[in-house]
Amino acid sequence: MAGERKKRILIAKPGLDGHDRGAKVVARALRNAGMEVIYAGLHQTPLQIVNTAVDEDVEAIGLSILSGAHKTIFPKVMSLLKQKGISDILVFGGGTIPKKDWGILKSIGVGEIFPPGSDTREIAAYLYKVL
Amino acid sequence: MSKLFNEDVVEEITRKGDRWQQSTGHGGKANDREFRTLSGISVEPVYTPEHTADMDYLRDLGFPGEPPFVRGVHPTMYRERAWTMRQLAGYGPPEETNKRYKLLLSEGATGINGIFDYPTLRGYDSTDPLARADCGRGGVAIDTLEDMRILFDGIPLEKVSSSLVTCQPICNITVQSMYFANARNRGVPLDKLTGTSQNDFLMETCMATAPGVLPPKASFKLSCDAIEYCTKHAPRWNPISFAGYNYRESGCTADQEVAFVIANAIACSEEMVRRGLDVDDFAPRLSFFMNGQSDFFEEIAKYRAARRVWYRVMKERFKAKNPRSLAFRFHVQTAGVALTAQQPLNNIARSAYHALSAALGGAQSVHIDGYDEALCIPTELSSITALRCNQILQLETRVTNTVDPLGGSYFVEALTSKLEEKILMLLEEMDGLGGIVKATETGWIHGKIADAAYEYQNDIETGKMPVVGVNCYRMDDEVLPIELFEVPETAKVQEKRLKRIKKERSDSEVRRALDAISRCCDEDGNLMEVIVESVQSLVTEGEITEVLKDKYGVWNPPLF
Repeated sequence: MAGERKKRILIAKPGLDGHDRGAKVVARALRNAGMEVIYAGLHQTPLQIVNTAVDEDVEAIGLSILSGAHKTIFPKVMSLLKQKGISDILVFGGGTIPKKDWGILKSIGVGEIFPPGSDTREIAAYLYKVL
Repeated sequence: MSKLFNEDVVEEITRKGDRWQQSTGHGGKANDREFRTLSGISVEPVYTPEHTADMDYLRDLGFPGEPPFVRGVHPTMYRERAWTMRQLAGYGPPEETNKRYKLLLSEGATGINGIFDYPTLRGYDSTDPLARADCGRGGVAIDTLEDMRILFDGIPLEKVSSSLVTCQPICNITVQSMYFANARNRGVPLDKLTGTSQNDFLMETCMATAPGVLPPKASFKLSCDAIEYCTKHAPRWNPISFAGYNYRESGCTADQEVAFVIANAIACSEEMVRRGLDVDDFAPRLSFFMNGQSDFFEEIAKYRAARRVWYRVMKERFKAKNPRSLAFRFHVQTAGVALTAQQPLNNIARSAYHALSAALGGAQSVHIDGYDEALCIPTELSSITALRCNQILQLETRVTNTVDPLGGSYFVEALTSKLEEKILMLLEEMDGLGGIVKATETGWIHGKIADAAYEYQNDIETGKMPVVGVNCYRMDDEVLPIELFEVPETAKVQEKRLKRIKKERSDSEVRRALDAISRCCDEDGNLMEVIVESVQSLVTEGEITEVLKDKYGVWNPPLF
């Protein structure tokens, strides 16, 4: 695989919620799985996230949401990407996102959702598979 | 000298113990697996007097309510006064949380434990564009003194003790001021108020690393301003609750949890002494907030070790004399990070064990998590079930019959001493780094926590740490047996109220209030003295935050 570019992933935590343990652990696990990870920290607005994703030329954005604000934030990020005419960045998510809301998120184009208790190896495998 | 066993006896026991170990399965197959505590301490197959041979009863254990307080901070403990049952509550606009407070109190909760929403904790108004999505989530929204009035409407402030989970000092300095100002407006003098505010600078700078927070020194200063203010004006209020709970939730091990809270308390105490206060004036009100994790015996030993270390720190470093200064008093919340989203009813059993270890460890108050907290804010049913779980523990199990029932257990005593040793080593290391504020500025704490969190996750993924329903005994196609809580509409309610308030309040009063805060920053005065007055003008939390960030600048913590 020499010469092949490493997968570039942005991990971000939108909003003001501080539960960042999961985001950090996932960021480190993906890095250990051979990806280039940009960890944006907390307090990111959807616009900041999309701008960082473009600047950093990532293939995927992982959003960690534990505040319950997923139904507000995912649609915002998706529509900002659309506005910018970007269709090749995968958006996936994790955190306390109840299963009953997955359908809504997937219908607007969000990829896999990883709830609490997910295995980070599964997240890495998923990204290697779809990207 | 009050050694528990004489040397000859210990020698014989050790000899026979070795023989026992070799002649039984423990030398071979039973040792194939690694036996360690959750924090990595190696565990023997059996504990005997050999493992507590160095222990001196009066020096190392003593009696409850007496140095070194290992057996408990009160002489009578739960026989006279059981732990406070303080169930966390908060969501949506203040009128909604007010209802939940009243429900819990009417169902037998013995104190309020109020959590604030993410924007409030971070110092933003509900109308801030950054706040919109999180408004009313994770806690109740507070923007002005009017919200605080509504939140505690009809609740007797002079009778009910309130814990304000104002994690970040930038939030606490304003929200606690609002609580005090509201009490004064209702005719309750500050010296009658009982309660606790969280007010921990590590929460702002380490636990939830966000760009653009106050720098560690400034956050630490705000935290100390509140301690100084309460020492002078509200002597029955605990002005800080060192949030070991959250350190642990972020990834810390048991020994790090204790070492970091104590290092933080040392820094605050040094600052208070520097400001001219006597240690016995403020130390009796320093309180701690700990995490009840899943390693049952390690948790009990942790609480006992914390009491021993704190006693020695206060006695030796600060020459405290008041027994209350020397006693490590703490609230326990059961570990949120141990809860699973899978098969959520299992969490009732988990949290009950966590709470039992808190009771056996001598906690002053206990919160039990709702079984649905890996999924959402607790519903009314899960909140009440958690409270009932606490009541069953306190009223039915009879663990309250005697003080420190596990004192003298060879295992628990050996583990207590081992944890004490590890905590002291970490304290020494942090001393060498220049104290906890420095260790935060350099990112040392951030690194420690991130490493421990990663290791914990690894242990789950490799199956080294079984988690029922997650890495074993999973149920595929599981149907959630519980209803999920939906946060009531908050942003619109708060926006409407804030609009009205901004129209009705006096602009010149608001300007004067903000100028006073700004001047106080310049003069390095005590900000709480000023903010308790300022909030009367109905200035918003966000407006105060802006002044503070303008004066102290902002900091981008190391990410990991």
